[in-house]
Order: sequence, then structure tokens, then C-alpha cells
Amino acid sequence: MTTSPAPAAGLAPAILAELRAIVGDTRVLTSDGDVEPFSRDATPLFRARPDAVVLPSTTAQVSAVLALATRTGTPVVPRGGGSNLAAATVPERGGIVLVLTRMTAVKEVSADELLAVVEPGVTTAELACAAAAIGLLYPPDPGSKTVSTVGGNVATCAGGLRGLKYGVTRNYVLGLEVVLPTGEVIRTGGRLWKDVAGYDLTRLLTGSEGTLGVITEVTVGLLPMPETSNTGVAYFDSLADAGRAVTAIIAGGTLPATLEFLDRACIGAVEDFAHLGLDRDAGALLLFGDDGALRTVAESLDRMAEACTAHGARGIELARDVAGSEHLLAARRCSLPALSRLAPMTLLEDVTVPRPRIAEMVDSIEEIARRHDVVCATFGHAGDGNLHPTIVFDAGDLEARARAEAAFDDIFGRALDLDGTITGEHGVGAAKLRWLGRRLGEDQLALMRRIKTAFDPAGILNPGKLGS
Amino acid sequence: MTGLPEPAAEVSLGLFDHDQLAACISCGFCLPVCPTYALTRDERSSPRGRITLMRAVESGRLPVDDPTVREQSSYCLGCRACEPVCPAGVEYGALLEQWRDVTWSGARTPPVAAGLRLGVRMTPALAAAGKVRGAARTTGRASGKGVQLMLGCVERSLFPGVSRAVTRLLPGIEIPSGQGCCGALHAHSGGSGEGHRLAKSMGEALPGTILTTAGGCAAHLVNVLGRERVRELSEYLVDVWASDDAAPELAPVMVGGRRARVALQDSCHLRNGLGVTAQPRDLIVRAADYVELPSAGTCCGGAGTYALLRPRDAAAVVAPKLDEIAELDLDYLVVVNPVCQRQLVTTLRRRKSRTKVLHLAELLALALPP
Repeated sequence: MTTSPAPAAGLAPAILAELRAIVGDTRVLTSDGDVEPFSRDATPLFRARPDAVVLPSTTAQVSAVLALATRTGTPVVPRGGGSNLAAATVPERGGIVLVLTRMTAVKEVSADELLAVVEPGVTTAELACAAAAIGLLYPPDPGSKTVSTVGGNVATCAGGLRGLKYGVTRNYVLGLEVVLPTGEVIRTGGRLWKDVAGYDLTRLLTGSEGTLGVITEVTVGLLPMPETSNTGVAYFDSLADAGRAVTAIIAGGTLPATLEFLDRACIGAVEDFAHLGLDRDAGALLLFGDDGALRTVAESLDRMAEACTAHGARGIELARDVAGSEHLLAARRCSLPALSRLAPMTLLEDVTVPRPRIAEMVDSIEEIARRHDVVCATFGHAGDGNLHPTIVFDAGDLEARARAEAAFDDIFGRALDLDGTITGEHGVGAAKLRWLGRRLGEDQLALMRRIKTAFDPAGILNPGKLGS
Repeated sequence: MTGLPEPAAEVSLGLFDHDQLAACISCGFCLPVCPTYALTRDERSSPRGRITLMRAVESGRLPVDDPTVREQSSYCLGCRACEPVCPAGVEYGALLEQWRDVTWSGARTPPVAAGLRLGVRMTPALAAAGKVRGAARTTGRASGKGVQLMLGCVERSLFPGVSRAVTRLLPGIEIPSGQGCCGALHAHSGGSGEGHRLAKSMGEALPGTILTTAGGCAAHLVNVLGRERVRELSEYLVDVWASDDAAPELAPVMVGGRRARVALQDSCHLRNGLGVTAQPRDLIVRAADYVELPSAGTCCGGAGTYALLRPRDAAAVVAPKLDEIAELDLDYLVVVNPVCQRQLVTTLRRRKSRTKVLHLAELLALALPP
């Protein structure tokens, strides 16, 4: 069992004194009240008290903290915006939560080189803004972009709403400055798109969930800002119908920026918050969008609208302008929190299947939810085959909670049967660890443990999670 | 099993509204709009972090007197910027009132807040001070259920020109005597029960539709008496002036031979609590050249008793706004709440700014024909 919180043994006074010497007295928190807000992230039910919270502001401080931790065998869990949905930043073994939100410098944005260099605590939205200010686009667009940090995005290889056309975080990370658990500072990759000198450690670290090193600087690639963008909404009788339209759109040769869908329960919850005038009677909504030159976007949206109509769309509306389009996308981003209006406990998953099988997966989720008698709302990145089935129930209802767990068990199993995966973008964290073996096999798990040991001989970084 | 932790048996002390506390799913969408998180980038000083603290108090894991619990309940401005952006619909303002009922109760109340809570309850003294300072005169006991102007406790003597301006904009407006304080100040500083009782009394002294020039009071009165009993000045003026020929002829306010450049500072509770943002802007446009202050929707640091209790933090909150005001080279900055007026008058004066602060009513009165 990886989830029982360690008893708060506390750190030895000598270790605390050294931490205070490294980052300053006010940047080491140890009291019950001070560490409480860092005992959880955005994952429901997971909570564990860290022994200390440390807030560094320089790479040198991070390096000194990690060297100390390795020397003393103290667990360290790196943390960014705390929007993780798999309990990856919950300090289940106690120790230090290392908070990087104070490292917020945008060091460089270059139009000549199409790249930006930022510290890890810059939020995704702040990076996107800095790029947009000189006419550039940072494509990764996770739903929590106003909260999540670039460091956290890299550590989890965050996905988002533009994955289909632009890929995910890993496609834009050119280089990293990383502090190894033993304190050495290395720079992987750099400013080049082409660079094959050595193993691709940048990619290995991207998505390593804070188990191999602490990211202290990120160099990302940027693109020229598309001339315009637009978004439309198509309503269907069912999510499976919307899934079939998605397959048809892509089979028809269009690779749009955005293909997102929401089922009826999600439409209602989002409409309650955003008041956009969405059709609450529809069984499903497909948000389709594209960016590029004015005419290209218009043609792309026309083609997608046609494909939707051909696959049973009961109504289609296009956003009037870029602002209207932004409203639609913003509403989609808030789907998960808005769902908590249905019931206070929202457990969401992140299964992903090959795109042509999305309708099958959606049907299976509905069947599984019925069989286990749970309320399940589903939304997701249809174009990526990435689904977020979300089961809602009352926190105190332990029977409902057990039924939810059984349902997710079946949903994971079904996704793997369809050549899918247990998590598309949220990560494994603590919440999905027990499924990882079935996804990867024992040989791969053993290799991951050896890699982990090579980086982190003392096993201090985010222990008990990936690679442990 | 998906590997969820063992269910933990949690107690509930009943200090907070259980459903409100449970509604937060810790997504963090509130972080980027929180002024104290912007200053610190510290989870403890964010709405989400504060709700995590409230939960720990509610479940008995943290004592009410925990220093971080006390500090964070005070460091919060109570601006409620986190509410409109919360997809889960958490009513943070209500939770903060419940929190301060605990952390600021009895001997724990900061002395300045305790003094003010007591002072503004002395209705005859408020009336006397208002008279001395030259606020609009009351018109006798409430006659019935029409629209009735509330003079406010602080505003009456601090900014007496505001109610006088209203009587010019709305000649013949009824101003019932015997009105005290609406209790917003109490509700926001640890005395929500007292705050509710005072609002009820106000509802009896002004039995019709209460017209208020203070956004913070409007939001509090709506909470207690209901939306239909309360009109904030800007929403009321936009409505009545929209009908037939009720709108007076306004001449542009001039400064140095040109139309005045004017920006608005929203009242946080008017904006975040009641969603009123368009009306004050609509009205300014009729009287001057309107310029949008980039941080118009962000708290000025006045925040009830905040600037009195935590002057250094209030100064840190307002500093970027003062830079914007200087940058825009404004003639007037318009406010719709007395606490904002006090905070901005004081801080702009300290900067020797040429920008004058006026209540919306005062600006509009300048535009009336003589």
C-alpha cells in the first residue's frame, strides 16, 4: 500500500538548520498550519503531511537542498501549481515538499530563434502571454494553464486542447536545466531542434513526474502565431455519435487544432457556470476548432461542419469571432471543476484509446457505469482519443465510493483491451500506480527502476511513485 | 480498487457550511486572480490554500488559534475575486465570514475592528456627524415602500458630498431618518450574526427599495434581505434614466478646455458579489472620456477594515494600481464604494498624484446643468 501517510516523524533539527541556512528562515515551513496547504494537490482523497515545505528561488538553492536530502535520506517532492490530478505531488513518505512557484523569471523570448527560456514557476498562461506579446505561439494548452507551471507541465508532459494538431508538452521542450537528486546541475538538450548528441535525456525527464530530477529552467520551442482561429459547436444525440464524427473528420484529411467533446451531464454543468446558451437537451457536444490563415480556417470549419452533419449532428453553431471562440474553449477547460456542482466528490480518469475506437470506448464506459450503478459524466479530447470519465458521488457515501472504484477498474481494463492506456496526460502519480504493471509489463518496470536508481541512488525524489 | 487511500473518519466541528466547504475541488482556478497569491506566489495565501486550512480547522486537525490559520484569515482581503472564476461555484465570501467568526471572535477581534464595529452602531452619533459634515438631510420617517436612500455609516461623515450629489441627481429622493449601519463591516470582521441583525434593522428603517452608493453595503444587504430589496446607485440610475425622458441633460465634465479623462475602480463586492460592472462604465461615458484602468476589477487594498489593520499589505496591494493611474494620466478616478474612496484618496495624495478621486455620484453631479 503506497497511500498511507507516513507518521510525522519530523526532520532532525540539524537538517532543518541546514535548510534554513540554504534558503533563509522564512522559506522553510514546518508548523502544522504552514505545511497543511501543501499536503494535497487537485486530486481528491489523497493527503499527506510533509515534514517541511521549502521555497527556493535559485538553482543553487535547489542543488544544495537536494544534496542535503541525498546525504540524509530525506524524501523530496517537487511541486509547481499543485493542479496535479494523480496525487503526484502528495508527499506520502513525508519529508520535504520543494515548491518552485517562486522561480518566475521569463528569461528570454526570441522571435529570431522561435524559443523561450523560463524558470519552472512561470505559469503556462504567463509563458503563452509572453510569447503572444511578440507574435508567437506556445502551443501546449492544458486545461489548467492559468494555474499550472511550466516546470510542472514538463514533469508531467501535460497535454491539453491542441494535442491533435500540435502535439503535447514534449514536442516543444528543447532543453532543460535539471538538478539531480545528488545535487549536480546538468543541462540537457539546448536551443536546437536538431541535436542527437547522446541519449535524449530531455525526453526521459519530460513526464518523469519529479522522480528523476528537479527542473530549474526550461527552453521551449515556439511557433509563429496563426493569423486567426475559430471554433464551432455541433450537437449530437450521443457521445458515441460525436466520436464517429471525429473519426470521419480526420479520415477526411482535416487535422484541426481542437476536437473536444462533452456529454449531456457535462454540458449542463458547464452551462450552469458559463451561461453560453449551450443546448442542454443534446446528448453530446463536439467542439471543433482550427487556426491558420483566414481562408484555411473557414474551409476547415466548413469541412468539419459537413462531416458532423453527415454523421447525425442535430445542430451546428459557429463562434462569431475570436472572443466567442475563446469563451467556448474556456468553458470546455472548466468542465471538471464545474462537474462538482453535481456532487461534491469528483473522481476523474484519463484513459486514452486509438482514435477509431473512441465510440467503442464511450459505449463501454456507459455500460460499465450502468452496471456499477454510478453517475458518470464524460468529456475529453476526442481528437486524441483521450477521455475523462468522471464519477461523482457524495464524499461520505462509502458504498458509492466502492462502486466508483470497481467501475474504474473495469474502465481501465477495457481501455487496455482496446490497445489504449491508463493515462493520456494526467500521469501515474500515486493514484494509478497499481495499474502501471499491467500497462508496461514487468521487464519495463524493472528497467524503470534501474533508471531511477541511476539518477537517484538514495531514492529520495518523490519516493513510492514512478520507478520506485 | 483504483488505489484510493483508506477512507479516513473525519469529524466536523460545525464551524463552516459543510456543503460550501465540500464544493471546492482544489482545482486552483482561483489562484491567478487572488491579489495576495499574486504578491506571494505562496499556496498558503491563495483561496484554495485558505480553504484547505478551513477544512483542517473544521475537522479538528488544526486548532482555531494556529498562527497560520489566524494570519491567513486576516491576510485575505475578502475581495471575492475568486468567486466569479470558480467553476464549482464555491461561495468563498460566505466561508470567509464563517472563518473570521471563529478567528476574530471575542478577545481575538483586532482592536481597530472591534472599535469600529462598536462605533458604527451608535446611530444618533452617526446622524449628528453626518449633519455636522454636511451630508444630505434626512426627510423624516420612511413614508412607505418607494426607493429610499441609505446614507451609510462611514460615508455620511467621511464623504458627505456623495449623498448631496445623489439628491441633485435624483431630486426628491426619500432619505428616511433613524438609519444606522447596514452591518457589512461586522459581517466581514468576525461578527456575521451582528451583521445580519443590523441589515435586518436597516430593512425595517428603510422598508422600501434600499438605494445605496456603496457596493460593499449593497452586496451585504442583498445577502440578508434579498436581491429585490436592494439597488446600487449605478444600476438604479441606468434603469430610471433609460425610461422615457427621465434622464437629465448631461454636459461633459471639462478639464483645461477638454473632456475629462476618467477611469473607474470597481467595487469588489459589487463586481464579484453582484456582477454589476457595465452600469458604472455606462454612466461615466455619458459625462467624460472613459479610460479602462487595467486593474479596475482588482482590489485596491481598502477592503473593509483592511487598510486600517494592515497598512503595509494594503499599500503593497494598491501599488501597481497607482502606477497604472500615473501611466494613464487621469483627471479623475471614479469609485462606487466609500472604502475604495478613502484608500485611493489617501494613497494618491501620498504619491502627490494630480488625479482626483470622486464617487460616481459626484462626477455625474458635475455634469448636471447648473
